[in-house]
Amino acid sequence: MSNITVEISDLKVSACQDDLLVTYALGSCIAVIVHDPVKKVGGMIHYMLPLSEIAPEKAQDKPAMFADTGIPELFRSMYGMGCDKKNLVVKVAGGGALYDDKGLFNIGKRNYTVLRKMFWKAGVIIAAEDVGGAKSRTARLWVGTGKCTIACQGEEVEL
Amino acid sequence: MSASTDILSQVHRLPAFPASAARLAGLLQDERAGAPEVEKVIRPDPALTANLLRIAASAYFSPRSRPETVRQAVTLLGVKRTFEVATGAALASMLPAKLPGYNIEARAFWLHCVAVAVFAEKLAKESASRSPDLLFTAGLLHDVGKLVISTFVMRQSGSILLKARQGMDFSDAEREVLGVDHAEVGAHVALSWHLPESVAWAARWHHRPAETPKNVDRALVDLVHAADALAISLGLGCDSGELARTVDPQAWQRLGLRVQRMELVASEGLQAVKELAAALGEVGNSK
Repeated sequence: MSNITVEISDLKVSACQDDLLVTYALGSCIAVIVHDPVKKVGGMIHYMLPLSEIAPEKAQDKPAMFADTGIPELFRSMYGMGCDKKNLVVKVAGGGALYDDKGLFNIGKRNYTVLRKMFWKAGVIIAAEDVGGAKSRTARLWVGTGKCTIACQGEEVEL
Repeated sequence: MSASTDILSQVHRLPAFPASAARLAGLLQDERAGAPEVEKVIRPDPALTANLLRIAASAYFSPRSRPETVRQAVTLLGVKRTFEVATGAALASMLPAKLPGYNIEARAFWLHCVAVAVFAEKLAKESASRSPDLLFTAGLLHDVGKLVISTFVMRQSGSILLKARQGMDFSDAEREVLGVDHAEVGAHVALSWHLPESVAWAARWHHRPAETPKNVDRALVDLVHAADALAISLGLGCDSGELARTVDPQAWQRLGLRVQRMELVASEGLQAVKELAAALGEVGNSK
């Protein structure tokens, strides 16, 4: 079994049954975790910011930095591995926030809003999610089984 | 002895700051000091010489050329920047493998320090404020108090974490439980190392910019506060406090920062943070 770490602003896809995809320290960033139980393929993105319009050149170089360029890239990568959209199980984690009454630091909320809009347009249903709060999360996906866990505040639970 | 007195009495137990870095701090005060004087301090210290050359060659510090001698590096960077690089190298070499009270390893802690230093400088360029002196060093050292207070936080971590998870700012929880927080301890550490006072005050007030005294450079404190919030929000060097930190809206207003500009800073700064943390991190491991 190999552990594949998905760094911030990165995405990984694997069809190796023994692989474990993991991403650490999701604060306001969001992980989209996708699994195809038929093809037994798993994918994960850890994006940092909502919209690529602030830095289009950066988005070309690192599409996984932004929701609007990274999420389509993740799904394309899954399709490239032979996955069918109707079989995909999609889970979401992260989008946390600091204690911020005025909402000045609302990157997490903006990250989540953009994702919801994109999924609504594309007809993608979220099977499970763990978002918001002053939390830092670690997300894991076992490619062979599709088991997905979120570790946070000293506890790890299945999503 | 109260808990806070006990904690502050541990400050002098930290290893002394490397003499060459401390002497560079002294040269900062001397307007006549130039490259030859700085070179005289650095050259007898082989570790600092190697570190300075490596870090000075990073894209962040010198995007256009790669200095090959100490003199070239100092001439290129200037006295202030050389001091900032030397301070970074010195701090990296002093980090313990883990800070148990914060459940964070040296590599992640260092990533956070570097992220705050880089983001603070980039935010300054996007803000209405001028760029204060020694902003990089102030960012790098803002959490230095954690090196001292960590073991005390560990002993009381149950009470502190409970308060933080119920909605209290983590440093306020430290203060309630221990009588002192890592920010105040950090100022004591910086002063005991004879670093410039502005660096100490930035550490002291970075969680409470509203309480910054009038004689302290408020822009420096505000920028470190904002950069810290950004780094924590993005999970760069996350510790057991997770996201339990308060954002001060007035600091934000004073800086005149807009959300989109902050996002730009994050997108542009991420690569620099990773590269610089790796370059400086090698420093810690090479000793």
